[in-house]
Amino acid sequence: MKKLNRYLIGIFLTFMSMSAFAAEGDPSAFSAMLAGISSGVDTFFKDYLGWFVNLIFYSAPVGDTKFPIIVGWLFVAAIIFTFYFGFVQFRRAGLALNIVRGKYTDPNSKEEGEVSHFQALTTALSGTVGLGNIAGVGVAVAIGGPGATFWMIMCGLLGMASKFFECTLGVKYRTVLPSGAISGGPMYYLRDAMAERGFGGLGKFLAVGFALMCILGSFGGGNMFQANQAHAMLTYAFDVPPEYGIITGVVLAALVFSVIIGGMPSIASVTEKVVPYMAALYLGMGLIVILMNLGQIGAAFAAIFDGAFTGAGVAGGVIGALIQGLKRATFSNEAGIGSAAIAHSAVKTKEPITEGLVATLEPFIDTVVICTMTALVITIAGLNVAPFDGAGLTGVQLTAASFSDSVGFFKYFLALAVIMFAFSTMISWSYYGLKAWTYLFGEGKAMEMIFKIIFCIFVIVGATIQFGAVIDFSDAAIFAMSIFNIIGLYFLMPIVKDELASFVARVKSGEIKKYK
Amino acid sequence: MEISETPVDLKRTLIQKGPKFRSHTIIFDENTAYLKPTISSLLFCVVYVVVGLFLMALSVIVYVKNSQLDFAIFLMIFGVAITTFGCTLLKPFAKRIIFDKETGKFKNNTDRTVHIENIISLQINNKMVTSKHGISYPCYELNLLTKNGRRVNILNHNDLQQLKSDAEKLAVFLSVELTDLQREIIL
Repeated sequence: MKKLNRYLIGIFLTFMSMSAFAAEGDPSAFSAMLAGISSGVDTFFKDYLGWFVNLIFYSAPVGDTKFPIIVGWLFVAAIIFTFYFGFVQFRRAGLALNIVRGKYTDPNSKEEGEVSHFQALTTALSGTVGLGNIAGVGVAVAIGGPGATFWMIMCGLLGMASKFFECTLGVKYRTVLPSGAISGGPMYYLRDAMAERGFGGLGKFLAVGFALMCILGSFGGGNMFQANQAHAMLTYAFDVPPEYGIITGVVLAALVFSVIIGGMPSIASVTEKVVPYMAALYLGMGLIVILMNLGQIGAAFAAIFDGAFTGAGVAGGVIGALIQGLKRATFSNEAGIGSAAIAHSAVKTKEPITEGLVATLEPFIDTVVICTMTALVITIAGLNVAPFDGAGLTGVQLTAASFSDSVGFFKYFLALAVIMFAFSTMISWSYYGLKAWTYLFGEGKAMEMIFKIIFCIFVIVGATIQFGAVIDFSDAAIFAMSIFNIIGLYFLMPIVKDELASFVARVKSGEIKKYK
Repeated sequence: MEISETPVDLKRTLIQKGPKFRSHTIIFDENTAYLKPTISSLLFCVVYVVVGLFLMALSVIVYVKNSQLDFAIFLMIFGVAITTFGCTLLKPFAKRIIFDKETGKFKNNTDRTVHIENIISLQINNKMVTSKHGISYPCYELNLLTKNGRRVNILNHNDLQQLKSDAEKLAVFLSVELTDLQREIIL
């Protein structure tokens, strides 16, 4: 293993020197070479994985447009969960806030190293702000017009129920692996909870299906998309040629490499500490832009509501706006996807419901508050005009241009924030992917190393490519996770309903004490 | 004045986090025992320094070739930050952590020097390192206890087998009791 580690470091150092050479060498030959690689990667994804994208985003004709079934799948599930759990995200919002504020935590039982609920909230806040809020909203508004924002908000409000559901199950059915590590998430609740309900065979199938899609998702949306948009931001802010993405990729991959292969918790800890400040910086910039343009807020909201119900200028009209809103909101808050259940499963709690309730706050903050703020900034700037076909600025570049429209130097802060968010998200998804990988192939240094190496290679690929096929694949892989997750969730609804009823009853009876 | 007696909780770990690899081993001489960093951990820390220096070099290239001040500054800030971070990671490796029977002292260059004669026992503790990224892995500490009730960390890493082996040898070297105080961790 030691030898392998040294060998890997050698490979990375070679890559680094190649990049340095590239920066100094003949730029036209280098650009042509990279364009060739990028084109080759795009062709590969189109030829070999295009069928996967088409399958996941299979669309049914609705009026004069096509509606992706998967988007409806997530939206309908969120509506059903909202009704089934009695609008838990609204009726138990007070309880969720009280848990976060530590009202149900015994002040004398706090152990060394245990995070306070306030810390948990700031962690949750920083965890929800990411490229989905910056680049995702840029894509939604560029293609779906301002009206897409309304549907994002709707998706965020309903998605709170999905997140409550899956995060509760994630904690309830987590397991301790032979190494002592805690592992949880849809793989485990689909397998174990479904067996409890008498659907063991189906549960195992769904768990394996989810794990496979989670691995693809970790390479796609959790990795390539992040690296790609990080470089796109550098291209916008500093005019870095797109083909120099390989340098961005190698630098990011080297840092990811040290964390996931080296097992260095320090950089992940530093990222955890820095990302909340980046989130605060992003929110601060958004508020400044909104305050500078207070007079236009009314018109911006009017454009959002009009666009939601008229779909003016959007291909597919209202349905087109709705599709983009729902797609980007799901990509941002990950409700129903199952990834959040993996992250939340490591929490220290005796009551799974408390984690589910706290998790409901994330789609609210992520989508209802922060995505709306980004959409307002874009709408106020007015750089995105009909027809909304994504031909002009889109993604992170549209968002950055809109911020810079009010305060020119904001693009530099945004570049800093985007890189930090991209890195943080890649680290998170590397662990989600690894959990899925170990679920399928078992724990073992050699097998885990294979995943980690592939993950690092995909960082470079993601930053290098300039074409849509890889981005489409990234999207499809993330959405594919929801297919297996949600089928299982339908079977497991009674478990969480009983758990919620029991928790609420114990709170009301005073069995679960309120300390403040 | 009444002095209240506070019991020392030996089961409590002293450091919140720890690496997911073996960071050090203990090397024994006739009269000394010192901590030696493992090469692989050292190399992973060097990655940060290399990346940081690369970005700083790139910054200079960008400025010299394109006179693009804003990007050069951006790269330089990132480069300096990552290099500094790498250096802080390397710093503990440069420290000599030693039990020296000749001077009768244990020095780790972090805590106050401990007189070896004051060390009464060694403990192995375990913990679960968790983070918002969903990372969770077990990590282990080897700590010492002095007769004054002071606890000092000696080792903190993920390789239990090596840590146990080092702890046993160290207990013999110091002629003190070694206690395995690992506990079941329920999250």
